[in-house]
Amino acid sequence: MTDPAINHWGLYVHIPFCQSRCTYCDFNTVTGMGEQDHAVYMKALMREWERIEDVPSGPLVSIFFGGGTPSLVSPDHIGELLHVVLTSPLTVSSDLEVTMEANPGTVDKKRLEAYRNAGVNRLSLGVQALQDHHLKRLNRIHSAKDARDAVSAARAAGFSNISLDLIYGLSQQTMAEWHETLDAACQLEPDHISMYQLQIEEGTPLATQLKKGQVTLPLSDTTADMADYGRDFMERAGLERYEISNYARNGRWSRHNRLYWTMNPYLALGAGAHGYWHGRRWWNVRGVRRYIEASLAGESVEAGAEPLARPEEMREYVWLGLRECQGFSRSRFVRRFGVVPEALFGRTLGRLLQQGLIERDGDRIRLSARGFDVANYVFREFVEETASA
Amino acid sequence: MKQSDIRNFSIIAHIDHGKSTLADRLIETTGALTKREMAPQVLDSMDLERERGITIKAQAVRLDYQSQGHLYELNLIDTPGHVDFTYEVSRALQACEGALLVIDAAQGVEAQTLANLYLALEHDLTVIPVINKIDLPNADPDRVREELIEIGLDGTEAILVSAKQGIGIAEALDAIVERIAPPRGDSQGPLRALIFDSRFDSYKGVLVYIRVVDGALKVGDRVRFMANGAEFDVTEIGVFRPHPVAVSELQTGEVGFFAAAIKTVQDTRVGDTVTLAANPAKESLPGYRPAQPMVFSGLYPVDTNEYGRLREALEKLQLNDAALTFEPETSAALGFGFRAGFLGLLHLDVIQERLEREYNISLITTAPNVVYQVQLVNGEQIRVDNPALMPVAGDIVEIQEPVVTASIITPSDYIGAVMELAQERRGVYKDLSYIDSQRAMLTYQLPLAEIMYDFFDQLKSRTRGYASFDYQWSGYVPADLVRLDILINGEVVDAFSIIVHRDKAYHRGRALVEKLRDLIPRQLFEVPLQASIGGRVIARETVRAMRKDVLAKCYGGDISRKRKLLEKQKEGKKRMKSVGSVDIPQEAFMAILRVEDK
Repeated sequence: MTDPAINHWGLYVHIPFCQSRCTYCDFNTVTGMGEQDHAVYMKALMREWERIEDVPSGPLVSIFFGGGTPSLVSPDHIGELLHVVLTSPLTVSSDLEVTMEANPGTVDKKRLEAYRNAGVNRLSLGVQALQDHHLKRLNRIHSAKDARDAVSAARAAGFSNISLDLIYGLSQQTMAEWHETLDAACQLEPDHISMYQLQIEEGTPLATQLKKGQVTLPLSDTTADMADYGRDFMERAGLERYEISNYARNGRWSRHNRLYWTMNPYLALGAGAHGYWHGRRWWNVRGVRRYIEASLAGESVEAGAEPLARPEEMREYVWLGLRECQGFSRSRFVRRFGVVPEALFGRTLGRLLQQGLIERDGDRIRLSARGFDVANYVFREFVEETASA
Repeated sequence: MKQSDIRNFSIIAHIDHGKSTLADRLIETTGALTKREMAPQVLDSMDLERERGITIKAQAVRLDYQSQGHLYELNLIDTPGHVDFTYEVSRALQACEGALLVIDAAQGVEAQTLANLYLALEHDLTVIPVINKIDLPNADPDRVREELIEIGLDGTEAILVSAKQGIGIAEALDAIVERIAPPRGDSQGPLRALIFDSRFDSYKGVLVYIRVVDGALKVGDRVRFMANGAEFDVTEIGVFRPHPVAVSELQTGEVGFFAAAIKTVQDTRVGDTVTLAANPAKESLPGYRPAQPMVFSGLYPVDTNEYGRLREALEKLQLNDAALTFEPETSAALGFGFRAGFLGLLHLDVIQERLEREYNISLITTAPNVVYQVQLVNGEQIRVDNPALMPVAGDIVEIQEPVVTASIITPSDYIGAVMELAQERRGVYKDLSYIDSQRAMLTYQLPLAEIMYDFFDQLKSRTRGYASFDYQWSGYVPADLVRLDILINGEVVDAFSIIVHRDKAYHRGRALVEKLRDLIPRQLFEVPLQASIGGRVIARETVRAMRKDVLAKCYGGDISRKRKLLEKQKEGKKRMKSVGSVDIPQEAFMAILRVEDK
């Protein structure tokens, strides 16, 4: 698959609302807000967009509504925001991807049709597991049946690009259940699957449950078995792995996530949203109330920023690029930075090649099969004082 | 102050029997400090001491006490409460004429109570028994009185105190005045002052804590340290009340400190005698011996670039700690570091913690070991303070190891359990006697190496916390010892070598590689671990290759967070030592001691 052109860019829109909080989640979310709050928040998003004076000159190729639970916000609001963005003075790609994350417990065919008409053309459904007892334990608001119904409804509503999120390594999850989840998910014939390992994040209810011994996690060997099993299962089901956690049918790679791995620019709207452009990463205030107040008052909502010096950008370029199965392109690196990657990382790359963790394929440098297993080991070689390594 | 109005005393006690609280109360009652100034346990001046509840460095406080209209000068000399510092305790006691022996009203006589009592009697001190914590619901002063009679004290003379509640403090002060003799000593003779402690002050140089035995010391005097002949001009004399207060002189029998622009405590050895250069004493005071490190350990910076900083830190600590020794050494596994000598494990712990906390140096400490005396085939006799340097078996005629005489006091129900433990630790039975109908004292000769690590913990756990323990050095004896080596990825890691008794070598080797298998994180490749004696492998384990090290999760566009996570992981790896190509965590090097001999 060819890389996005260097000037392609994306827009991330954060919708923080949730009906209830999943035990493992440490994303920026709020519960207990109603229609009224949604309307005010969407207005704040539009104000934030209007205050942006400058956007990348290249084509906008992706808009991504992430959450939280974007599907809690009405299709009208989503449509309105898309309209405002797309009628602004900017170049829009002819095959713009507009992804929305949706909770299976919040959508039916009618609502999905309305999102479709509002301009959403890719749906990412948070399925996670297909056993009700696991869903319940994770405090998900939907059942396994809801998940299956949501996929059918999305097809009926005309979505031709559907992605499912699955999690492995759940408390008390058996290999047989993981197989069952994979099997049932693949029978739904999704175009894309993201497969994540359950991570314990500090401050989450799950972390507390774990500390109190209320839940136990599978042994690391079991989790590793699940990862391998999931990977092989996907390949057999015709879903090609193109990134550490992502699989797609018919080249339906997530255009939005690719922008992250190839270090293309992306702007950000919403509470706690992150952007990257012009050698700078920044993020918005996390508090939803504070975000709304600031944005409606016409003030900056930026909470922090981090300039990336050139060597840092080069490092990130390498390890982010290595997340994709095809790795990163040396010539694209040269076009972007004006030097060959070996100029900075010659010794590190040489060592990793020798260890059999990366391999070269023409213009590309990518992780080997073993490299994928220990990707963090490889990535760590490119953070901090890599230049002196 | 007239010599006859001076009383010099110490407080001695088993740990946690309330020594520091009683000292606080005496200071408060005599008005040396207002209540507001009283931080709990004012005598323990280092933070570390306060946190650990132990007194490492002795200090002396002068108290004014009015008894029946007469003003007395009481000097309270504090003593360290740990067996590592027995010698320091003995010097502090030598500076006194009497001691308050504090006994917990609920716990009764314990091993350290006895050890302290014997030490006090050795120095001809008047011992005043103080039964403390009488406010506790389970206090049983009558039983304690009986125990006191058993150990040769007059139980009826004991003073009942609750230091916490302030009960019996005046009685204790009166007893000090009435029962303890004023200092003897020749006020006209040449100066002889006993050093019982010293500490480095960055403004004044070393403060030397002394008890003037004969003669007097004035500002401007040129003094001589009799052990090494070094001479200095006294710039300042003071006493602690407990804040330092300058005085012009210290007379016979008095206690205080002086400063003389002395740069290191190496010149001011505890136990040495100070005299005047112009009119020196003929003989020094008896009992001086230079501090002898008993326990050695390798100290290595995790980051090899910090070698210089480590040396500077050790030099600074040594300014204030005459018992700390160190010499550069090189380890094939760990690079450049130091072999440091300590009085005991507590001393090691304190130094290690200060290096990490105050000097911010991340350290690898190798398992502590004792010093062996080795008789070689070629007739030479050598001292080995690093297991890796133990000669090969063929060159050795005999190895001797240091042993202690240990006294263990235990309820009679646990005698069997204690004997079993002593047996496991290669103890040689010496004696069994009964303190009363319920409690016995067992005496064993034990190798120092066997009590170094968790002996005390084991003793406590096998006697439900009832046994108490104290020991004294008692020389070297021959033992059938061998060097056990650990190989990681086929290479001997010198920092892991230990000396063990031949009968225990197999089990220890087995336990060790099992422990290391759990402590060494999985690496990119499989890592074999082996234990060997004289080149013969006796145990083998494998650290399996790491299967997954991958972050299979997205954080949306929050790349900074992903990167920070990787950076943090990398930082974590920096705290490990790379030996060959294997990353070994710091704690693995100490694990050597933490394996059970089962």
